Amino acid sequence: MTTIKTKAKDGTPVEFVYKDPMQGGVKDVYFAPDKSYVVAFFRKNPDIAGQERIEKLVGQYRKGIFEQAGGEYWKKLFCWPEKIVEYDGKIGMTVPAYQSHFFFGKQTSLAGAEKEGKWFASAKNFNRFVPAEEKGTLLSYLRICLLLSRAVRRLHAAGLAHSDLSYKNCLVDPSGGNACIIDIDGLVVPGLYPPDVVGTPDFIAPEVVSTLHLPVGDPNRKLPKRETDQHALSVLVYMYLFHRHPLRGRKVHDQEPDIQERLEMGEKALFIEHPQDKSNRPNLRENDKVCLPWVDINKTPYTMYGPLLKGLFELAFITGLHAPAQRPMAGDWETALVKTCDMLQPCQNSQCVKKWFVFDNTTKPTCPYCGTPYKGVLPVLDFYSTRNGKDYKPDNHRLMVYNNQYLYQWHVDRTVFPDEKLKPEHSKPVGYFAFHQGKWIFINQTLPAMKNLSTGEVVPVGKSVDLTEGLQLLLSPEATGRIVNVKIVKND
Amino acid sequence: MRRLPVYLLLDVSGSMLGEPIEAVKNGVQMMHSALRKDPYALESAFISVITFESKVSQVIPLTEVAQFQPPSLNAGGGTSLGTALQEVVNCANREVAKSTPEQKGDWKPLVFIMTDGAPTDNVEPGIAAFMAYKWGIVVACAAGQHADESILKRIAGENVVKLDTADSSSIAAFFKWVSSSISAGSKKIDEGGSEAGSLSELPPPPPEINLVK
Repeated sequence: MTTIKTKAKDGTPVEFVYKDPMQGGVKDVYFAPDKSYVVAFFRKNPDIAGQERIEKLVGQYRKGIFEQAGGEYWKKLFCWPEKIVEYDGKIGMTVPAYQSHFFFGKQTSLAGAEKEGKWFASAKNFNRFVPAEEKGTLLSYLRICLLLSRAVRRLHAAGLAHSDLSYKNCLVDPSGGNACIIDIDGLVVPGLYPPDVVGTPDFIAPEVVSTLHLPVGDPNRKLPKRETDQHALSVLVYMYLFHRHPLRGRKVHDQEPDIQERLEMGEKALFIEHPQDKSNRPNLRENDKVCLPWVDINKTPYTMYGPLLKGLFELAFITGLHAPAQRPMAGDWETALVKTCDMLQPCQNSQCVKKWFVFDNTTKPTCPYCGTPYKGVLPVLDFYSTRNGKDYKPDNHRLMVYNNQYLYQWHVDRTVFPDEKLKPEHSKPVGYFAFHQGKWIFINQTLPAMKNLSTGEVVPVGKSVDLTEGLQLLLSPEATGRIVNVKIVKND
Repeated sequence: MRRLPVYLLLDVSGSMLGEPIEAVKNGVQMMHSALRKDPYALESAFISVITFESKVSQVIPLTEVAQFQPPSLNAGGGTSLGTALQEVVNCANREVAKSTPEQKGDWKPLVFIMTDGAPTDNVEPGIAAFMAYKWGIVVACAAGQHADESILKRIAGENVVKLDTADSSSIAAFFKWVSSSISAGSKKIDEGGSEAGSLSELPPPPPEINLVK
């Protein structure tokens, strides 16, 4: 053992085992003796601007995110460099070690391997190699996408761009619903620190790919920035939800593989599910059965996760694919994903690989993954709120009811949203739903003034109300309180 | 899905008998267990092993990583490098899907050649056939002092590396580097498709492996 004891630039002690580094693209990585952090040394020391960048990264930018109110929240979502270390003429940074849930379990065939996103973003890997207990459910993938969107939204709010978002730089843990952005040292501050990588090409925006041949400094050369992060985030969301790439279809632009790659990811990039131009549909013959159903866009179309995500996929891959300003913002994904989680209903087939599906607004909902039709009575709650105290308008937000589904304050009050700013008192349910004696009921646990508008009666805390077609409940009389309208889907 | 074909050309001539051949077997095994936990390689890499002594044979046809079984190897005989080069071209012509106007083909194959001696056959027709094929990255490894580096340079250009001795630790280091190169290759191609064929696209070789200038 060759344990080096030294001091970081800020004077605090740093230790690492100076032996057998793990080799990344540009860095050699050594573990601390207790493995709680690593020290990553650049193989080639960064230039002055690069050094200034990492100074800011561990200083000003880190403090701006982690040392403000609610800063703790971000520690799970970013693996952020903490200190600068110089040793043996080399410059490095300390970075927290990955949390243990980002490694495959000891009992599985992949024991010890990192759960990098590629395992879950590829249909072949997901179907064949990811152990069943690590696959997670549809809800866990929506949650992962939500966490990543939130993390990117936070970076962008700080004026930063990641510049190399990809499944390689996102660790995901579907079985536990965790996600974390790693390799943050390429951060771009537009106008201040130019990017030093173009990104990871499944994720590089088309305008960047199509101008790669131009020299850096050419005014037409496009480099990573917020808008290219937005493209990468949309691709990530699509790949985690569909286990396929949105632009890799059958269309041949050139028989030379490299030129084909550059065209299909760049200038000629075309959504495989484009509603009018069907020339880039995935080739079913070319892909073996192991990629089904994900390679079959008729079975798993981009519309299957409901209207909110459908709209954003269209913005990302149709309207905004070649028009960066039109691309959805990270916060748009975050909001749509939160609302989409409420539109899930459990699949009644206990063997179903995804366990949940998004209600498709039909009278005969059927699980798209295993084909099991929903049997029974299914209440659907739509939310309304008012801006003028009189007229209640739809919030484009719907909650599906199932046994032990909860209602939260963010359903009751339109100004509450479940993100990092959520107050602890708002994270507890205000009521729940149950199927009781052949009827669906809602049990009010804490709402002080909930009113049944159909009868005019108050529903006191501790009492329940039957969910019937057309029932309207005023959840709160406050100006920001919502009304729910109940619809009943019946499928025998 | 585009496949990344990888051809390993391994010298199993008589001079490899003993520690070197055991080290090669062990190396292929290690390479395989590393790739089986690599999501990039599992998705797209397909591996073939061609051995050469006096006779040349494709002991493993192009096989996906998950199905790959390390071959049993026995050393003995001469060093028919020329025939081996011809054979890898034949295999690639047969196994690697070419792009057509209607359908995308495979990526350009990666080739790793390892030899510890000088060819005992006429290499010229083999070299000519090999150079006419469009490979991705070609790396040649001279294991020990007796390999003919000048011929390897004609095959792999700048991408010739050397092990000072053909012992188990340096051969192990070579295969470890091959597996990280396959992983990086499948990553890179998956990602960028830049296939200029230069060694700088691969991870830096470990200290046991020297670049031949």
